[in-house]
Amino acid sequence: MGLSIKGLTVSFLTGGHLVRAVDGVSLEIRNGSCLALVGESGSGKTTIGIACMGLLPSNAILDGIMELDGTPLDYSVQETARKIRWRRISMVFQSGAASLNPVKPVLDQVAEPMAVTLGSGWKEARRVAARAMELMGLGPDLHQRFPHELSGGQAQRVLLAMATILDPQVMILDEPTANLDVVTKAFVGELIGEAKKRGKALLLVGHDLDFVVRWADEVAVMYLGQTMEFLPAGRLLTSPWHPYSWALVRSYPSMRCNRDLGGIRGDALQRVTHQHGRNNPSAYFHSHDQAHGVGGGTSHAPEAGCLFWPRCTQALGACREGSVELTMQGNFGVRCLRGGVVELLRLKEVSKRYGETQALHPTDLGVRAGEVLCLVGETGSGKTTLAMIAAGVLRPDGGARLLDGRDMDETLQEDRAALARQVGIVYQDPASSVSHRFTVEEILAEPMKIHRAFPQEGIRDGVEDLLRKVHLPWDERFMALYPHELSQGTMQRVCLARALALRPKLLVADEPTSSLDPSAQAKVIRLLMELQIEEGLTLLFVTHDIGLARKIGDRLAVMLAGRIVELGPAATLLALPLHPYTQMLIRRAEDDVQERPMGQGSASPQGCAFAPRCKWAEERCLLESPPNLHLEDGDRTVRCFRFFDKGSESSMPRDSSGDLRGKVGNWS
Amino acid sequence: MHLEVGCTLRRDKCFTMGATVAGFMALMALVGPFVVPFDPQDMSFQPFARPSWAHPLGVNDGGQDILSELVHAVRNSLGFGALVGGLGLMLGVGVGLTAAWLGGLVGRLLMSCADVFMAIPSVMILILVAALFQPSAAVLAMVLVGLSWPTTAKAVRAQALALRSGLHVRAAAQMGASAWYVISRHLVPEMFPLYLIGFVAKARMAVFMEASLAFLGLFDPGRKSLGGMIQYALKYYYMDTWWNWLAPAVFCLSASIVAAGLLAISLEKVLDPRLRSLWG
Amino acid sequence: MGREANFRFSPKGKGLGSILTFASALFVLVCLSYVLPRLMPGDFVTAMFASSHVTLSANQESEARAYFQREEGFGEYLLRLARLDWGRSYALFQPVSSLILQALPWTLMLAVGAHLLASVCGFMIGVEAAWRRGTRVEKGLVGLMTMLEGVPEMAVGALLLAIFALQLHWLPTAGAQTPYVELSLWERLADTARHLALPMATLVISYLPGNFLLARNSMVMVLGEEFILTARAKGLPDRRVRYAHAARNALLPVVTRFGLRLAFMVTGVVVVETIFSYPGLGTLLFNAIRSRDLPLIQGVVLFSSGAVLSVNLALELVYSRIDPRTRHAP
Repeated sequence: MGLSIKGLTVSFLTGGHLVRAVDGVSLEIRNGSCLALVGESGSGKTTIGIACMGLLPSNAILDGIMELDGTPLDYSVQETARKIRWRRISMVFQSGAASLNPVKPVLDQVAEPMAVTLGSGWKEARRVAARAMELMGLGPDLHQRFPHELSGGQAQRVLLAMATILDPQVMILDEPTANLDVVTKAFVGELIGEAKKRGKALLLVGHDLDFVVRWADEVAVMYLGQTMEFLPAGRLLTSPWHPYSWALVRSYPSMRCNRDLGGIRGDALQRVTHQHGRNNPSAYFHSHDQAHGVGGGTSHAPEAGCLFWPRCTQALGACREGSVELTMQGNFGVRCLRGGVVELLRLKEVSKRYGETQALHPTDLGVRAGEVLCLVGETGSGKTTLAMIAAGVLRPDGGARLLDGRDMDETLQEDRAALARQVGIVYQDPASSVSHRFTVEEILAEPMKIHRAFPQEGIRDGVEDLLRKVHLPWDERFMALYPHELSQGTMQRVCLARALALRPKLLVADEPTSSLDPSAQAKVIRLLMELQIEEGLTLLFVTHDIGLARKIGDRLAVMLAGRIVELGPAATLLALPLHPYTQMLIRRAEDDVQERPMGQGSASPQGCAFAPRCKWAEERCLLESPPNLHLEDGDRTVRCFRFFDKGSESSMPRDSSGDLRGKVGNWS
Repeated sequence: MHLEVGCTLRRDKCFTMGATVAGFMALMALVGPFVVPFDPQDMSFQPFARPSWAHPLGVNDGGQDILSELVHAVRNSLGFGALVGGLGLMLGVGVGLTAAWLGGLVGRLLMSCADVFMAIPSVMILILVAALFQPSAAVLAMVLVGLSWPTTAKAVRAQALALRSGLHVRAAAQMGASAWYVISRHLVPEMFPLYLIGFVAKARMAVFMEASLAFLGLFDPGRKSLGGMIQYALKYYYMDTWWNWLAPAVFCLSASIVAAGLLAISLEKVLDPRLRSLWG
Repeated sequence: MGREANFRFSPKGKGLGSILTFASALFVLVCLSYVLPRLMPGDFVTAMFASSHVTLSANQESEARAYFQREEGFGEYLLRLARLDWGRSYALFQPVSSLILQALPWTLMLAVGAHLLASVCGFMIGVEAAWRRGTRVEKGLVGLMTMLEGVPEMAVGALLLAIFALQLHWLPTAGAQTPYVELSLWERLADTARHLALPMATLVISYLPGNFLLARNSMVMVLGEEFILTARAKGLPDRRVRYAHAARNALLPVVTRFGLRLAFMVTGVVVVETIFSYPGLGTLLFNAIRSRDLPLIQGVVLFSSGAVLSVNLALELVYSRIDPRTRHAP
């Protein structure tokens, strides 16, 4: 059965304010499994652990039910409380040596629960404690030491030994790996594994996502006291659903994730209620930092609606009202009005032909709100074409485009300008994308003037704002400069500012740094990333440099000869590239070795474009183009025959769009 | 920052109580001697007279008006306290800053001296000096100053060392500022809380010492002091004077010391965030 | 009676450092006691007789001078002190050392008893108050003790004397024992206790509040530490958490101050003994001051300072035993 928490709500009364730390959380930790709670500080995850132990301070107001193996946990009476604590549930605290009494030897502290709570007598308790400590890798020479004489890892092991000494059914681990070395971390992980095998229920609270993914079975993502998402641990780093989970994963330094840390826009908040009247205190939230408004211009946190909306990259008007429930589906749950991260842009079977050449074969692509999708490929791969089609600039020969659910062609017919307000474009050559007759101020004011979006007086302020955003001087002197008086890097920044003038949702950047020198390139990229986070933009980034794509992309799409040959999360794609072309690109980027001359080679238009250069090529690779294969464990697609099972195609299961679903077989 | 501190202080009950009483006593000390009707040394009245309109607190054994005596005594005691507090503070700050700035051997030497001085029971030295030389109150105050600087010196040194590694100090030094400039413009103003707390604590201790020494008869007998009054009042307890002679002196003395204590607590509460949780 | 701003008192270094500090302090005192008398304006003898009503003839003066004044070097002085030959009292014509030894037991009884009582009771009440933090009882107690701490011993002593001895006649007004009576052992003990009651009560009332506040604050800070949460989580009974874990740690700063508070008490003891005419070192000193008995003053000052310093030193060495963090301090 295990530990079950239903509707837990914890509020703290401090100095006339009511701070709600946990809001209606329900969790189920089955025996033999490990549930992890992840989130930022202030999410309430530690409070849940403490509430399970009945250790909330006296100014806490608790609501909800906690049950262990069916029987409710009742901490109100001292006697029953003492029978539960440590004997049935124990906790490993996060502070290492600070969680131990500084004046007693550690052996005594480990033995104490047995000697006092269980009443076994000190001699027996010390014997058992010594054995427990040895199991944790602490030799007898350490037993009589004091906490300040131990290293962080050793102190943590003492805490572990102490928690396991009465062999409780449930163990709560609060940040067990903070400040620990790798060896001890692995040790703790194995301990968790052992405990699971023995049928214990474990609750892991932490922000070490690597550790969580490795050792936990399920993860609940918490934000401001509510569960935002509930998913199997393995999916956390690769494909979470909720925008917050995703942003969290992006902010976390992990061996698997190559992209630079982004952070989450806005500031961490706290749920505070001022008690205006006894009956209906009006609830509002305080931001720690009220001077800087969060992207959308608000400086106060929301009164109603989804808790996350001020920091969300895809919030709608409806998100600000009402309350959002956690919708569960089997093992998965997500608390989002839009059902998780939505696709901002969806391209269906778009294609383009220029005369004889098929620049772009029918292609499907979905770009999620708030993500950075990189289109990687050599010249002529069709990436720019695809990007321009996605931006609404180029009309495809066939297929449909949906921007935020609305058909782009419809929008273009009804109101061209409306599309321009939603998409911003940064071109490859900054100099030629602006008129040489315009000053900086005029360049930046242009979009605003075209759309008559701002009153005359407001335009100057708007321009200053934009310049500030891209970290350029906003004085008269600078605004009066002409493009030829600026360096390439600065000009590109101005172009970036121009693209952002109308607050677009989607930003398409076509090789924006290829014509810049390296230091300017780095600066522009950094700025781009910063703005992407702060403005909540979705970025479609086109580049030929897979190294660059690795640094900035959430997902990569590798293109060759007008087709997307591989698509997937940047981390997994680069760690384990499936398509031979991707492998070659990576090898080339790493070793700078020219394997074979670039170009189409002697590929027949019917077959796979890479076949002439591919060492695994078979006959059929030259004859027909491989279909797009979706791989089960993650949202990766690859266009290569190697990944079919041996057997006929017709027996392969197909999904609704007609694509084949295949298993990842033995590939290396 | 000062405004904010001022607001918080005003809201603190400890502070208002302490400040009110201290203010009252200070007023008595400053203005009182000009207001009271008689010269305290004037011995022409009838000894042990009961309180009356002319002599609200009666007359003592030597024929002096008790009320005038009281007011002058308050002035002397509080003056002694303020003198020791102020000078002791300056000396402590000076030594502390020197130790922090020069560092090294000099700093350690100064701190060892501080340790030694802290270990010596100051009252004993005061008694020794007072008995041998029968100096004036001012000289005794100087001796006490010389014994009470260590606590402030240590606190100032610790704080100055921490500040010195702060960015604005390093920046000033890099800009070529002289040591004197850095100390006076950057270090000294930052340690304002220490000064307040140090002054109040020292003054309180000094008032207490002065009363004790006066009680033991170590001051010049002509000098009016609360401790001296208490001593005499006790001597003549059988004359049933303790209501009008003993009690006022006791009250004034206790009130001054308690007020200073309350001020010290509320100052610490407001200025040292670590202690805020203790008294909240 | 000053309050330091820092309740987290960091333990001092190795024992050697402390020994040096205290030895230096004692040395400074001895030097002062040697140097100061020689700095006096005029003569030792003139000073002694200056405030008396006696005028000496030239002959007597030179005799007195020969008797009292010895030209001795510092080394000789040190040796003399070490031999416990501290001169002769002028007013009482006895060796200073024997006078001190006579008065010492009474002072020890009073001072040590009061200090122990004030410390132990103050600590216990402080611990209990901190545990009940936030209740009206605790707030009231803290307020009361804060006020009480400011009232000096002479005030308390005067009040107690006035009320209990003079008005109510419950307890004696002076002395340590009733003189000139034959009493059995038990009666003698009871009599001594009755005489001891008021002086000790004065000292305890004066010094308990400071100890209380120190203990309470120390306990409050300890209760906020992480390991207390661990102790509660381990299912230990409240009482064990309160005493074996919390109070045990709260004890450390209190013990550090034990010696310091004893030093503060010196003033108090002198004053209180004077008020109650209790025949201890304090009264001895007071009378010596009144009669300008300089050898006696010097002797008492040196002796009591030395005693206080030694106690402090002993405490320094004890401290490392109870706080393991200082044993291996760098």
